[in-house]
Amino acid sequence: MAFAISTQEPSPLAGPGSPENPPSSTGIDPDEQEVLRGRVADRLGTGNIVLPLLPQVASQVLALTSQPTVDALQLSNLIHRDPALAGQVLRIANSPAYMPSMPIVSLQQAVARLGMQTVTEIVLAASLQSGTFKVPGYEGALKRLWRHGLASGLFAKEIARLLRSNVESAFLCGLLHAVGKPALLQVVADAQRDRHRERGTRGAVPDQALRELLSEFHTGVGLRIATSWALPQPVVNAIAFYASFERAQANRREAAVACLADLFAADFDEPQPTFEAEVRGQPVIGELNLYPEDVAQLLAKRPAVARTVESMTL
Amino acid sequence: MTAGARRCDVLVIGSGPAGQKAAIQAVKAGRTVVLIEHERAVGGACVHRGTIPSKTLRESAAQATRLARDAATWGVSPRAGVEVSSLMARLDHVVSAHAHYMGRQIDRNGIERHHGRARFVSPDTIEMTTVAGERSLFTADVIMVATGSRPRNPPEIPIDHENVLDSDSILSMLYLPASLTVLGGGVIASEYASIFAALGVKVTMIDRADRPLKFMDGELVAKFVEAFQRAGGTYIGEQTIGGVTFDGVSKVLTTLSDGRVVASDKMLVALGRAANVDELNLGAAGLAPNARGLLAVDDHCRTANPRVYAVGDVVGPPSLAATAMEQGRRAARHALGLAEGASSETIPIGIYTIPEMASVGLSEDEARKRLGAALVGRARFDEVARGQISGITDGLLKLVADGTGKKLLGVHIVGEGATELVHVGQMALLGQMDVDTFVENIFNFPTLAEAYRVAALDLVQKR
Repeated sequence: MAFAISTQEPSPLAGPGSPENPPSSTGIDPDEQEVLRGRVADRLGTGNIVLPLLPQVASQVLALTSQPTVDALQLSNLIHRDPALAGQVLRIANSPAYMPSMPIVSLQQAVARLGMQTVTEIVLAASLQSGTFKVPGYEGALKRLWRHGLASGLFAKEIARLLRSNVESAFLCGLLHAVGKPALLQVVADAQRDRHRERGTRGAVPDQALRELLSEFHTGVGLRIATSWALPQPVVNAIAFYASFERAQANRREAAVACLADLFAADFDEPQPTFEAEVRGQPVIGELNLYPEDVAQLLAKRPAVARTVESMTL
Repeated sequence: MTAGARRCDVLVIGSGPAGQKAAIQAVKAGRTVVLIEHERAVGGACVHRGTIPSKTLRESAAQATRLARDAATWGVSPRAGVEVSSLMARLDHVVSAHAHYMGRQIDRNGIERHHGRARFVSPDTIEMTTVAGERSLFTADVIMVATGSRPRNPPEIPIDHENVLDSDSILSMLYLPASLTVLGGGVIASEYASIFAALGVKVTMIDRADRPLKFMDGELVAKFVEAFQRAGGTYIGEQTIGGVTFDGVSKVLTTLSDGRVVASDKMLVALGRAANVDELNLGAAGLAPNARGLLAVDDHCRTANPRVYAVGDVVGPPSLAATAMEQGRRAARHALGLAEGASSETIPIGIYTIPEMASVGLSEDEARKRLGAALVGRARFDEVARGQISGITDGLLKLVADGTGKKLLGVHIVGEGATELVHVGQMALLGQMDVDTFVENIFNFPTLAEAYRVAALDLVQKR
């Protein structure tokens, strides 16, 4: 499911299209887009992807933990605002370095079991490992990606609750189903930077071209992240199959929940007047056996989800 | 008949064990049958949310138990921190294969099946609404309600499917919790409590009764509780729940009526099941659920509306698939004026705890109440060679006979393999065989079935 990505500043592209070589609907010269696409593919081929972490969250966690009255729930809620950071914290909390007796599956658990100070250290370590990451010109896009992930996680919880499925699992599946996109954003930006150097040009990749690149490559990147974070199998399958749940050999339901959550989150990103009618006709509605009144129940949850997303957005 | 309605002889609502058997019985009797299923696939909760998924998890737990028992021999130990999904790795395949098989069976028999929600619009007419919202009407001479049940959600317990789970949502947990409180003492509570205990979870089972599974033979249950406690489980009986809360960080806190507070990572609420009658618009059929939310039926599963029958979980306990199947078959035969056949007293009960429990016929108490006297023969599995070979030594088989010790009345078994082993006793009951049959005939050696002979010899000595 495509969703809007806006760059923080207007993105004049190098080399406007000529009559012989007009810009495509993506706002970029088709040849140049193909070159960029090839560069992104090459970079992904080398395999070393660093997840983007928002350093502001780490700063806020530090600030929060310096307050004596802060409790574990507040800390975990803060980390929850950033799916990449949350995933990193869980991965590190479950690593041999901390030797948990049982897997730590929630941030609340991480805080309760490891203590606030340790979790704070984990957050800092996660930030340092990834560097103080920035994607100049793409801050808005990054923020929208995180918001989309958070909205997907929250919608997935509501869908799961309606289906009497475990909401904790659904939240992670929704939150991380497109986790490859933020990581890919840096790869695209780096590839574009290289092209600018070669051509003496400047500017960010236009929205539509960026959207296509993220859409094409994010699943593979997401799966690499899932492997490196040792994410649970239902989450891995949600990442792999949310856009084609009918192909899932296992965890088909989780993949379908992530798919529907993604659709609801896309409407949250860019509300469409026809969404209600269109979503009812989606194959995933039949897959999840949602009758008209069930869909109506989910639609009625949108304001509450929107409020939660807004309250958790940095 | 409502204008514009499709007509059939028998309309079955629900394709679980009860509905499926009713539909097949009716079509085999030469009637036209329409089957309406609310879910995408046939099979009901039994296939998709209950019996088959939980037994898949049980199989993994039983393997874990065997692995733990033989760990020293093989130099391995069960891995801590296992994903629940990995324990149920074969589930999607098993469910899909079973649903496919059932679907084919329904189609092969010429049953017309539809996917949609059904509701009465008159005593003989059903309106079906599809997922896409399309509506159609069906009218039938006989309407069989087999809509099943869902976990009961007591209003005072905050089931959030995250920390406080029901028997549906517990199967989609990501990881095994370190500790689990199970509310309830029935079949579902006992099965899950023993499964999670076998998987290394610290399980506390809480119920108002002094022991779980009150309807089962006390000796069998005592063996089950012993095994549960050996696996690290705790049973707290004769307690009601003062309150359940999540502490906001990581624990579910359960306050008991005696003031104790039990803390655990997760909770499973298994306090019975609620019949799926809400969407049926029963009033239009001249019916209403009883005080327990169930459809009241007579001995033939017929409701107060003579053309409407109800079978399976929707009529209440025992809520077992085998019983539901038999109810479906017998109800269809009665509705069509056919003989119902043998007594339902020979329907076995199988409980997939660790260890398994199974029962058929009269219990010791029932036999004494009905006949004034009863004799019982026992065989412990550690007295049987196969029990020693296979390491299944904590089992028990009980034969219940009349006061003379001749006539076999019931068979009750606890131990691995009990749900299979009970069928030997079931056949003996159906054939009205004497206890001596087990003494005079030879079973394969070494097998657990030998326990029948050992128990029969024990019984003969008491004559």
